[in-house]
Amino acid sequence: MRTLFLLFVAGIVAGMPSLLFAGSGAGQALPTMKINAKKAALGKRLFFDERLSGDGALSCASCHIPEKGFADGKSLSDAYPGTKGFRNTPTLINTVHKQSLGIPWFHDGRIGTNLNDVTRDQITETIWMNMDMRIMQERLKQDPVYRKMFKEVGMGEPSNGKVRKLIPEYLKTLTSRNVPYDLGKMSAAAEKGEAVFMGKGGCVQCHEGPLFADGQAYNLGVPENKDIFREPLRHITFVAFNMFMGNENFMNLRRDPGAHVINHYSDGRDMGKFFTPTLRELKQTAPYMHNGMLATLKDVVAFYNNGGGKDPNKDTRLKPLGLSALEQANLVAFLESLSGDPLTGPEHVYGESISQKYYPIPNWLTVKN
Amino acid sequence: MKNSIKKYLAVVLVGMFLPTLLLAEGDPDKDAPLDALGPVPVQLDNKQTPEKIELGRMLFFDPRLGGDASIACSDCHSPKEGWSFAAPISRGYPATVHWRSSQTIVNSAYYSKLFWAGAAKSLEAQAPSAAKGGVAGNGEDDVMEARLAFIPEYRERFRDVFGDEWPLINNAWKAIAAFERTLVQRDTPFDKYMKDDGAALGEAEKRGLALFQGKANCFECHNGPLFSDQKFYNLGVPRHDGWLEDGMKQITFRFELYAKGVTEEDYRNLKDDPGLYFRTKQKRDKGKFRTPSLRYTLYTAPYMHNGAFFGLDEVIDFYNEGGGTNDFAANKTRILKPLGLTDDEKEDLLMFLESLSGEEIVMEAPKLPKYEPLAMD
Repeated sequence: MRTLFLLFVAGIVAGMPSLLFAGSGAGQALPTMKINAKKAALGKRLFFDERLSGDGALSCASCHIPEKGFADGKSLSDAYPGTKGFRNTPTLINTVHKQSLGIPWFHDGRIGTNLNDVTRDQITETIWMNMDMRIMQERLKQDPVYRKMFKEVGMGEPSNGKVRKLIPEYLKTLTSRNVPYDLGKMSAAAEKGEAVFMGKGGCVQCHEGPLFADGQAYNLGVPENKDIFREPLRHITFVAFNMFMGNENFMNLRRDPGAHVINHYSDGRDMGKFFTPTLRELKQTAPYMHNGMLATLKDVVAFYNNGGGKDPNKDTRLKPLGLSALEQANLVAFLESLSGDPLTGPEHVYGESISQKYYPIPNWLTVKN
Repeated sequence: MKNSIKKYLAVVLVGMFLPTLLLAEGDPDKDAPLDALGPVPVQLDNKQTPEKIELGRMLFFDPRLGGDASIACSDCHSPKEGWSFAAPISRGYPATVHWRSSQTIVNSAYYSKLFWAGAAKSLEAQAPSAAKGGVAGNGEDDVMEARLAFIPEYRERFRDVFGDEWPLINNAWKAIAAFERTLVQRDTPFDKYMKDDGAALGEAEKRGLALFQGKANCFECHNGPLFSDQKFYNLGVPRHDGWLEDGMKQITFRFELYAKGVTEEDYRNLKDDPGLYFRTKQKRDKGKFRTPSLRYTLYTAPYMHNGAFFGLDEVIDFYNEGGGTNDFAANKTRILKPLGLTDDEKEDLLMFLESLSGEEIVMEAPKLPKYEPLAMD
């Protein structure tokens, strides 16, 4: 009897999100995060600080631009000076939620589900910020503002490990706001679009859960972005990356192997698979797909309506959908209803410019390093 | 029987402590005679060919062998600055500064210990350390190797020289080392003098040579044809002012302590470059640096591991006073004592030092080949 009662309570608790978010997508709302505001504020300054890259040219915000939905608005990303990227910059809005949902990071899922690791990777990797984190630590220790801020959050002096905790704390603040879908305030068109999404469109097969992403990788036959191979700086990065990841035959690859980096199946069945991206905040984050080959949501819907693209490994579930023009338009309306307000206010953006001048520590001979 | 054991023990004991006694006297080693510099030793696993040297020359000047493709070997080893860098502390990777004086490439082929604390044993090993260090080149193998693959002229040259299907980064270091082995200046008044051209040195220079090997005792460490015994000493070179005055230098200073893996206590407290200690972690090695060659010094100011002196005359004054004092005074070599040189003697010594350099080696940067896309499929 008692057990039954407990199960009953558990059922109510589990069902609470759907009660709280009574929109048509009940149960799909993002969980609320507990945020340490002071640590997040310190993480914000780190996120916008170009001194976190090897030559001081880039901050995290150089490619994850607030006004571009914390993506960059480009098909293929920029990268560290002397290189250029070969994939589309994903948004960081809602990215922290991947951790609890068990969704790996990056289009190819090469780094698991720990944002601390992702932060380290992005700061240190040659093609991103190329920062020896030991130098970074000493740069931060040279800045009185950081020394004060670290102390105030109870973390003592700046260090690498602390940065890897603080930036994720800031990222927690990048959570969608005022999303029509979450508020249950979708247009009629969007509601019709949702029906297509759940039914005839079959979108929900992969785009499920609070992030509309299932944490799996698929090959959709997205056309290759040939700019990777037209521009030596991009192709160089592509080659160096594949060399480093241990992908075979990297000089002759002309198609992005994607999630092959995870298991390296010898029969290549994992070639060209990419992880399902979130569908939240799409309004802010065009162009789409792992290589930015689709410019608009209309294009994306048309792509699926045609049964995806061409690839020997293409997922067999992708088949022409036979959606009418109206159904497609409604689907776009639904997708747009998953986007909220831009996160461009002072809460999310560090407003002051950060000088790269380092002042000497006074009484250097007598204070401890 | 008992007595003979005692005698034996006595001999053993004296034998054990004799080296220590000699050390205490300050002349622990046999000093190789000064001589003309011979041809560069052949590196059996990296033989010199004109094609390899030319490839190495291009790579030496090519900033794509570095992190952000903005800084080449030649930026810190500039032909116009004696193939070194004309500031006490070398420039570093963008947004950083280095932490020691840049050494000249000229005649570096003769060293078996590269870097001030002897961290590399060959030019082939020195080049990648410099290209990859966080405050030097900050490059990474895969990216640098990938860059070379997109330069058709390099592809062709690496294939010809090394047989590489695609340029291999390790062969880039070999080519650079081969080029560096051509940066030799052994056509100096001193070398001519040693090869029986008695008139190559003037009277003052000859007096300087006698002082060098006699009263001034420079020869104790600056010996052999290279004018370096390649051993490590603490001379009491004063601390670099920049550590106190420059924020970016303070960053690099702490980074080096951190990166070289010293104890927490040393990380917190060291206020000067501990030199060889970084490699051995032996307290007795704090503040020791490898004796540099005195050749080509006419062009390589400033001097010492931290560029403490801008002129050779300042260096002579420093030794004349018996060296200096730094944070590692306990390790200061006992070889250094006030010399009591007169002004004339100092002048003679300076003249002699200036006879060790010869003509300046000048070179224009080569025109570098461009990236080209590979075939699309």
